[in-house]
Formats: sequence, structure tokens, C-alpha cells
Amino acid sequence: MKGRWAWKPSQWEMMLAILTVAAGAWSAQLSPYYLNLDQIADSTRQFIFPGLLALGLMVVVVLGEIDISLASTLAVGTVLFSKFSECHVQVWIALPIVIGICGLLGALNGLLVAGLRLPSLAVTLGTMGAYRGLAFIIGSERGYTDFDDSYLWVGSERVLGDILPISFILFAIASLAVGFVMHYTVFGRRCFAVGRNNDAAWFSGIKVRTIKIRAYTLAGALAAFAALVWVGQYGSARGDNADGAILFVVTAVVLGGVDINGGKGTVLGVVLALFLLGTIRNGMGLANIAGPIQTVVLGGLLTVGVLLPALSASTSHFLHLLLPRRSTPK
Amino acid sequence: MKTIPSRKNLDTKNCGPKNLKMKILTAFGLALMIGISAFPVESVRAKDSGFKLMMTPKWTGFPYFELAAKGGKAAADELGDTFTYAGADHADPTLQVETLQNFLTQKPDGILLAAIDLNAVAPVLKEARKRGIVVTTFDADAAVPARDMFCNQMSYEQAAKTMLDCALIDSPEGGEVAFVAASPTAPNHTAHIKFMTQFIQNDPKYKVFKVVDTQYAQDDDSKSYDVAVNLMQAHPNLRVIISSSAVSAPAGARAIVASGKAGKVFSTGFALPNAIKSYIQDGSEKAFALWDPYELGYIATYATHLKLAGKLEVKEGVTFKAGKAGEYTIGKDGEIVYGKPLIFTKETIDKYNF
Amino acid sequence: MSLLAEKNTPTVAVQRRGFSEFALRLRVSGVLAFLFLVGLIFSLLTPQFFTVQNATAIASNAAILSIVAAAQAIVLLTRNVDVSVGSMMGFTAYLTADYASRHPNVGAELVLLALVIGLGLGMINGLLVAYGRVSSLIATLATMSLYRGFTYMYAHGQEVTSNKLPKWMLHSVDLRVWGIPALVIVCIFVVVLVAIFLRHYPIGRRIYAVGSNPLATVFYGLRIQRVVLLAYGLSGLLCGFAGLLYAARVGTVTVILASGWEMSSLAAAVIGGVSVTGGSGTVIGAALGALVLATIDNGLVLLGIPEFWRMFIQGSSIVAAAAVDVFIGARIRKSLQGQRFGRRAA
Repeated sequence: MKGRWAWKPSQWEMMLAILTVAAGAWSAQLSPYYLNLDQIADSTRQFIFPGLLALGLMVVVVLGEIDISLASTLAVGTVLFSKFSECHVQVWIALPIVIGICGLLGALNGLLVAGLRLPSLAVTLGTMGAYRGLAFIIGSERGYTDFDDSYLWVGSERVLGDILPISFILFAIASLAVGFVMHYTVFGRRCFAVGRNNDAAWFSGIKVRTIKIRAYTLAGALAAFAALVWVGQYGSARGDNADGAILFVVTAVVLGGVDINGGKGTVLGVVLALFLLGTIRNGMGLANIAGPIQTVVLGGLLTVGVLLPALSASTSHFLHLLLPRRSTPK
Repeated sequence: MKTIPSRKNLDTKNCGPKNLKMKILTAFGLALMIGISAFPVESVRAKDSGFKLMMTPKWTGFPYFELAAKGGKAAADELGDTFTYAGADHADPTLQVETLQNFLTQKPDGILLAAIDLNAVAPVLKEARKRGIVVTTFDADAAVPARDMFCNQMSYEQAAKTMLDCALIDSPEGGEVAFVAASPTAPNHTAHIKFMTQFIQNDPKYKVFKVVDTQYAQDDDSKSYDVAVNLMQAHPNLRVIISSSAVSAPAGARAIVASGKAGKVFSTGFALPNAIKSYIQDGSEKAFALWDPYELGYIATYATHLKLAGKLEVKEGVTFKAGKAGEYTIGKDGEIVYGKPLIFTKETIDKYNF
Repeated sequence: MSLLAEKNTPTVAVQRRGFSEFALRLRVSGVLAFLFLVGLIFSLLTPQFFTVQNATAIASNAAILSIVAAAQAIVLLTRNVDVSVGSMMGFTAYLTADYASRHPNVGAELVLLALVIGLGLGMINGLLVAYGRVSSLIATLATMSLYRGFTYMYAHGQEVTSNKLPKWMLHSVDLRVWGIPALVIVCIFVVVLVAIFLRHYPIGRRIYAVGSNPLATVFYGLRIQRVVLLAYGLSGLLCGFAGLLYAARVGTVTVILASGWEMSSLAAAVIGGVSVTGGSGTVIGAALGALVLATIDNGLVLLGIPEFWRMFIQGSSIVAAAAVDVFIGARIRKSLQGQRFGRRAA
């Protein structure tokens, strides 16, 4: 290892990067409108809020757990923002409070999973429904659209010559922060350790329970940021916000090379996967390809993406058998 | 001990076929991108024809919207415009916004849509209007400042009256009625329910009815079926289930037949004729209503074209001729009322096949 | 010391078997208790709840979900998950309905067609998970999109309306035998059949084995891949059948048929005591879980409670059910293995 800060992109990440470029090329060929800086920058907005959720989910998945309630936490965030906006509270005062509440929701997930040791899929399946119901209860069925301008700023404004969305900057900061935490801090290292081998980590003195609760809280807090972006982007807050978005988030995390069983994965991989998915969706959308066909393409991509390691492993194994062995000892 | 260099202990970071292959691939990809972007993109813009129109429904794959698209395409062909139809495969406001965003990038002249969430689409539609794109909603409206025109199949009052008339055909002596809508956030459905309740309270013709419940079925047929079953359980004297959603009405009819209450309870409301043909023909249901979505799409497209060509001013009271579909007047807030309900009864059902 | 151990083993073994039998029953009784609790609450709150008619209404609403919940349970037992159940139902339902609309004189072979299609779809899932060694969540997430997309491409924007379906199909689910809808009887029959298969046939028991302790089954000589393939194939088979029933019940077959059922089936299975970590739970429990969900739905409509409270209550029920399941599981483990750490590796 060259040094503590030495970093080399893994094979999977390289493949994602190349696929993204190839997807960009393909999209450009599909539609003449694709290759436009303004357009591409604007299209990133489609995956900012799932991206923030994906960052949170990545931490949880690395721990070997899962959290499918993040989209519902986002909905709670948006309706909370709507309540604050109704009372004309400044967004910079509302934001920490919403982060706190969403973090609490995440902590509740963590408590149930780590404290009571319930299986995370079942727990977050339950809290997914419960939190969404909570969002409806807080927000009422009608929804809210009359946001103060300060709330809309993050999700809708652009800087640098009206090209770069502010939400993209937020996402970049968030990814760098999460990446730093996961790969260069003790907390991150411990997350990977717990994900790799829960028992061994426990034996080595890592407080598994605390780490899991913290991870879930972080995911909840990131969902609050995603809620802020949502409010600015869509200008509406209702209980059914982001209903079903969790599928895309899980796809992004998985495609990003994060092992669903925990212990492996990089933030860069998730970010690249988001870019890849976003590029493909954007390109297909501009070419007016029907939604279901887009779904098929994405589903196929996911299949190929996860089959590749198995395929390459078996092909190399195959080749290893076919090709003549080395006669010299290692 | 000297080890023979193997691939394991060679520093392969900067050499080796694996890295080289990736570099070549990256270069190729970049070259491809640059090469393609070198081709200029031209757009043709004619004065009063050759407009680029794009339509998106609530979700694709639903025959109702497919027909509206066919009508739109027919209108576009007649007028010499291009027409594109695209959308997601399920009703998701986020995806609809994404579709609209993609439309925007393709620089159309006119956008037509049936909005899932009237407020979620407002920001992107406002942006479109800022760029001079004419935005027309049909079937389900968006926020008023976000669109130029709204082609309403019929006014909410007329829709309410039509459904109540069908209920009267089903049960002339009145009785308990329950409403089924998609969701509390569907603006047209909530408006229907509001007016229907008003008419039942105030209009002597409909005073025979009594509203007992309102349920939501999210445009899902299984949910609609279950809701109908539960409604019949909750209200033993229920006479008519009135569904604003074209998905819920046939499911309700089916539920009634399945629970053996055909003739005692009726399902009515808006439904595609093919979906309820069998119930009308075998007599378990007596009346449903709808309108011609083909014509709706046709008129919406015509109106959009005329506005683009500068031949239509969107002001209250202005009349225009929508091709073969007849003349229409613009009402308040740019609303065009199509106002031609079709009532499907045993006598009329065979005329329709969609 | 070894002598003592030998002397003790027979009695301990008998004790263990007795207790594990009791514990298994306890698992199902957990969801039964939940069902009774929910039923009691609703009965006290509204008189219309506790009637035979209402019970049949709930049962028919729960019927198809119970089959899908059973399918999900089978897969869950092997420590995998199947989120493509809704898409498999939709695909099968659409294909069979379309076929029926083109061949109006089709008879019971339509059921065979549905089963074959479902089996095929399930096998693809199984191949991906067992042999492709893809994580089950990802594989079924991918096939969920794929199957739904293929349904759309096949449908070309059409839906199959009830007037195009064969009359026998629609009537068969409406029939009532002694007042109970035929649909309910068929579903009970199927679920019981599957339960018997899992409990009393070696192949079925292997499904439990694989989920309980995959490592041990490897050492034992079981081919895990085959068992997982079987589990997914069975799941697909049941979903295909459920799709056909759905089409017959509701009458209109659309492209988005049964989307969202993956979550419902998962919820039903979890409420029914099927452990998400595999190896324990019963399909009967999953079917009862479906009944619980339908009961809550029905009760909330009867009470006129707003829609979104349903989500909140259902979500909380799932968490509660999972908690109950874990507590029971922990108690079983403690008594079977003695005081260990009481924790399982993730």
C-alpha cells in the first residue's frame, strides 16, 4: 500500500465509469438533444434525491442490514417542511429540526434492528408503511404547495451561469462527506468490520449495537436533506411523496458494487451507479422510449451487472482449466 | 529466496493489459461522444404548421389514454404537425415530472398532458410556458398558472350530474349511495364528489339518494374490488356504488356479481365501454357513462395547434372550431369543456368498442 | 463424564422433540392470537364486523393474497426473498387472459397454461439466485422489472376486459359452496396442500433445512442450488395460479395488475410468523397473515377510518409481528441449545 491516502478505483468502479460514458454516447446517438451541458446538468436533478437516500442506504447495507423505509422518511420530512413553511419559519431554522426528527425516525429503525435484534427487512417493511402513514397524518391528504421561497432555493435554483443545480452541489458535498466517513474514519472501518462478520466485530470490542443505530440515524438524517431537495424540486409536500422510489435507491446501491450481505462497497461506486442509471434514464427519456421498456432495460442491466462477477469467475475458472498450466513452481 | 515474478507480486498499476484495455475503451467512448456531438442539430419551425407536439398520459398502457393519444395523433396529422406520445408505465408523479423535463429538453412547441398531481408538475410546466411552449392539460388538470388551457371532458358539475343520472337509471327509487374515488388528492374525483353531494342535498331530482360513505381505491382494480365488497358489508342497505375512476366502476360491478347481489346493488360511474359491456348485456348493471377520449385528445391537440399558429386567443368566451369535432368555447381560466357525455345502456352499448 | 452424557441423551432428546413441537405450534398461534385480537377490537367497535357475511367478505379478499403469501413464505424459508411475485402474477394473468380472449373455447387447460408460465418465470428466478449466485433481492428486483416490462410490450396498450374472458372462468370463482365462495375453498385447499408438502415430504423439509443452516446442509450433502431452484419454481407456480385467480375475480386484466403485491405478500408472511432470516415459519401462518391484513382493511372501512391510518396500522403490525416472532424464536433457541449467546450472525 503506497500510503494511507492512496486510492485506486476498483475494477467494478472502472466498469461503471466506462458504462456511464458508453451510455452517454448511446444516449447522444439516440437523441440529438442529449449532448447539451445545460441538459445534462439539469438531468442530474432526477437522481439527486434518490442519491442522497442511496448514500444513507449504502452505510446501512455495508453493515449487513437494509432499510426500505427511507422513502417514507423523506415523505415525513417534506410534510414537516410544509408545516414549518405554513408558520413562515425560516428554512434554516426548520432544517435542523427536520433533520433531528428524521434522524429520530432512523434511530427508531436502528433501535428495533440492533436493540431488539429484529430482522431489518421485516422492521423496515413495517416502518415503511408506518412512517408513510405518519406523513399522511401530519400532512393531511390534501398536501401543501405554497412554500416560502427560501424552502425552494436548494431544490430549484442553479448557480454558475444558471447551469449547475444547487442540489447537485449538496449531493457532491454529501457524497464526499459520507465517502470520507466510510473510508477514512474509524466509524467507517468499523461499519465494514461489522458487515463482514458481525460476531467477530462484537468479539473484538466494537459496539455493534451503537454503530447500527448511528448508521440508521445517519440514513434518516440524509433523508431529511433529500426531503429539502424534493420540496424545492417539486414544490409540493404530501404523504405520498417518493412512494416507490426506494426501488431505484436499492438498485443504485446494488449496482454500485455494495455487497448486499455487507462488508464491501464504496461510496464512489454508488455515485457512479447513480450517474449510470441517471444517464440511461435520461437518454431513454429524451428518445421517448416507453416507460416499461426503460424498466426492462434497467432490469436487464441490473441482471447483467450482478451476473458479471459470477460469469467472469466461472469463465476464468473455465479458462484456467483449459489453458496449459505453468510448469514452474510459484 | 528469489521468487519468480508472477502476476501477483508485479506492480500492475501502470502497465498490463487490463489497464490498457480500459484506457482504450474510455478513449473510444469519448471519441464516439465527441464525434456524434459534432453533427449539428437542426430544427424546422414553420409559421402555422409543422409544430412539434408531445403528449404524456397519467400512465401508458391504459386504453383510455391510448385512445386520447390516437385522437391527438389524428389531429396532428390533419394539421401537419408532428406528434409524440410517451410516458411511464405507472402513475407516479415523479416519473411524470421526469417525462415532462425530457420533453422540455426536446424543445417542443406544444405539450399535452393528463396530470397525476396538479402541483408536482407545476414547476416544470411553468418553465415550459416561460420558454413559449403552449401547455394544454386534458382529463386531469394541473395548477392554473402552469398551463394555457385545460380540455375538460365535462365540467365537474356536468360529470356529477351524469353519474347521478346513471345512478337514477340503476335505481329510480333512490337509496343509499357510496362514492369511490382514486385518492383524496385527485382533484377531479374530489370535485365530482363535492358536486354530487351538493346535488343530492339540494336538487329535488336527486333527493332520493343518501350518501353513506366515500372510499379510495387508488385506480387499482383489486383494491376497488375489495373496497366494493367491504362497502357492501359496511352498509347492508347500499343501493349504488358510484365510481369516478374508470378502473373502479367495472371492478365494483364484478364484486357485486361475485357476492350475488346483482340487482340489489348497482355499480355505476365512469367506465370504458368494453370493460362493462358484459355487465350491461347480462343485465346486472344498467348504466355507465364516459366520453370519447379519442375526441378529447383530438380537441386538445387542435386547440394547442391553433394557439401556436396564433389563431386562438385564450380568453373567456372565445370560440374555435376543432376540426371534425365541432365548435367549442373557452370558459373561465382557459378551460375548454368538451361536454359530450356518453351513457352506456343496453340500447347504446353495442355502438362502442373501446 | 461420557457415561453420564450417554445416560442423559435419550431423555433430553425426547424433551427436545416435545418442546420443539410445541414451539412450532406456538409460532402459528402467535398470528392466530393477533388475528383474534384484531377481530375482537373490531367486533367491539362495530356490530357489522362480526357477521358471517362480513367474514366471507374478508376471506374472499384475503384468498388470493394468501396464496401469494404462501409463495413468498416458501422463498423466505430458504433465506431468500422474492419481490417479483406481483410481476409474475401480472405476466401470467395477462398472457392467459389474452390467450383466452383469442381462443374462446378454451377449457381447463387455461389453468395448466397459467401454471406452466408461472413455473417458468419462477425457474428463471431460481436459476439466477441458485446458479447465478446473484443475491435474491437483486435478482428478483431485476426480474420484477423485466417481467412487468415484457407484459407491457406484449399488451401493446390493451387491457383484456371481462367480456373477453371465458364465462366458466368468471363463474367458477363466484360459485358458492354452502355459502362459502369457491375462491376461498380453492385457496384454502392450495395452501393446505403446500403446507403438507413442506412438512411431510422430504423435498419440502429440505427447504426448511436450507434456510435453517445452509452450512450444515452443505456438509450433509444437500444440493442447495436444487432446493432453492425448487423453492422459486414453486413460488412462480403459485403466483401463476394466483394471477389466473386474480384475473377471474376482478375481470379486467391490465398491465399493472398486482403491482405492489410483493410488499403485501412480504407483510403477510412476516405477520404470519415466517422468519425473514429463513428456516422457520409456516405457509399456514403466512396465509393467516394475509387474513390479518384483509381484516384490518375491512375493519377500517367499516369504521370509516381514513385510508392512511391503515398504512400506519399495517406498518406497526408488521413491526409488532416481527418482534413477536423474534422473541418466540429466541425462546425456542434458548431451550434447544441451552444458554449460549442468544445472538445470531447477521
